[in-house]
Amino acid sequence: MSSRPVARRPTPPPADEPPKESSPPQSQPSLVQLGPRDRLIGQLYIEGDIRLGGVIEGEIEATGDVEIDDLAKVKASVAGRDVSIRGHVNGAVVARKRLVVARSGSLIGDVRVQRLVIQDGASFSGKVSMGAAAAEAPTKPIESKPVAPEPEVQAVVEAPAPIVAAPIIAPPATDGKGKAAVPPKAAAPKAPPPKAPAPKAPQQRGKPKRR
Amino acid sequence: MDTQEAVAESTHVETTGQSDSKRDGQKKFTLGPNDSLEGKLTYDGHMTVDGGRAEGEFRIGGNIEIGNGSVVKALLEGSNVTIKGEVEGKLTARDKLTLGKAAKLNGDVQVRRLQIEDGATLNGYVRMGDFEQQAGS
Repeated sequence: MSSRPVARRPTPPPADEPPKESSPPQSQPSLVQLGPRDRLIGQLYIEGDIRLGGVIEGEIEATGDVEIDDLAKVKASVAGRDVSIRGHVNGAVVARKRLVVARSGSLIGDVRVQRLVIQDGASFSGKVSMGAAAAEAPTKPIESKPVAPEPEVQAVVEAPAPIVAAPIIAPPATDGKGKAAVPPKAAAPKAPPPKAPAPKAPQQRGKPKRR
Repeated sequence: MDTQEAVAESTHVETTGQSDSKRDGQKKFTLGPNDSLEGKLTYDGHMTVDGGRAEGEFRIGGNIEIGNGSVVKALLEGSNVTIKGEVEGKLTARDKLTLGKAAKLNGDVQVRRLQIEDGATLNGYVRMGDFEQQAGS
C-alpha cells in the first residue's frame, strides 16, 4: 500500500488542475478533501485517498479510497480502491476492491467492481460488471474527455498551424514569423500551396448546395 | 377475493414439494431440495425455492425467495424478491430485491428498491425507480 501503486491510467497532469495533487514523497499517500462548498471541474488524479463534498465534474481517480459525502453532487467518472457513495453520483464507477452505496446515496452509471454493497434505500441504475470479468478488463468505461477546456484550446492552436505553413512556403518573408524550422523541402511534396486551398474551396461550396 | 391460479402450462412439471399452506391469508409454494420445476408459473401467493432447481418463467403475485444452494434459470417477477442462491435471467421486483451474501445473479434487473449485501455477485443492468407496468409483456 505504501509503495507507489501502479496506476492503471495515470492521468497526464493537466495544466490547470494540479494544485491539489502536489504529490509528496512516495512513502506518504496524500489525503485530499473537498468540503461541501468546494467545487472541482476537471481531472483529479490522487495517489492516496479522496474525500469529496460539493460539486465535482469531470474525472476522479485515486489509488486509494474514494469517499463521496452526503452533500456531494458528482458528475464524473470515479475510480478508486474502496469507493463509498453517500451523495449523488452520475457517472461510471470503478472500484478495484469494493463499492458501497449507502442508504443516502444515489448512483446513476455503469459500475465495474470486485465487490458491491448496496444498502436499502440507496438508489442505483446502471450496468454492473463484477468479479473476474471486472478484474480482467480494467479499462475505463468512459474514455471521453471531461469538461476541461483544454482540448478545445489545443485544437485551436493546431488548426491554424498547417494553414500558416502552407502559404509560408510561397512568400519566404513570413517564414521568420512562424516556426522557422519548417523545411521547404518537406512541406512542398506534402501539400503544394496552390493545391491545398483549391480542393478545399469546392468542397465547401458543394456542401451548402446539397443542403 | 383470492383469485389464485397456479397455472403450470408447459413442457414438464414435476413437483413434489408443493405445499399450499395458508399463511397470512396467502398461499405458499415451496420447492424443496429434491424438487424441480420447469415451465411457466403464474401464482398469486408466495414462492420459495429452497435448495431446488427451477427453470422457466415465474410471475408471482407475492414474494419470491430463492434459498441457499438453489439454482434458478428463469424470468422472475414478484413483489419482494430475496435471493440467496444462484439466479440467471431477467428479474423484476415490484417492491424490493435483496441479494444475500452468497447470492449470484446474472441478468438484468428492474426494481423499486435494491439491497445488496457484501459478498453477493451481480452482473447485469439495474434499473430502478417508478414502475411502469412494462413487465407484463
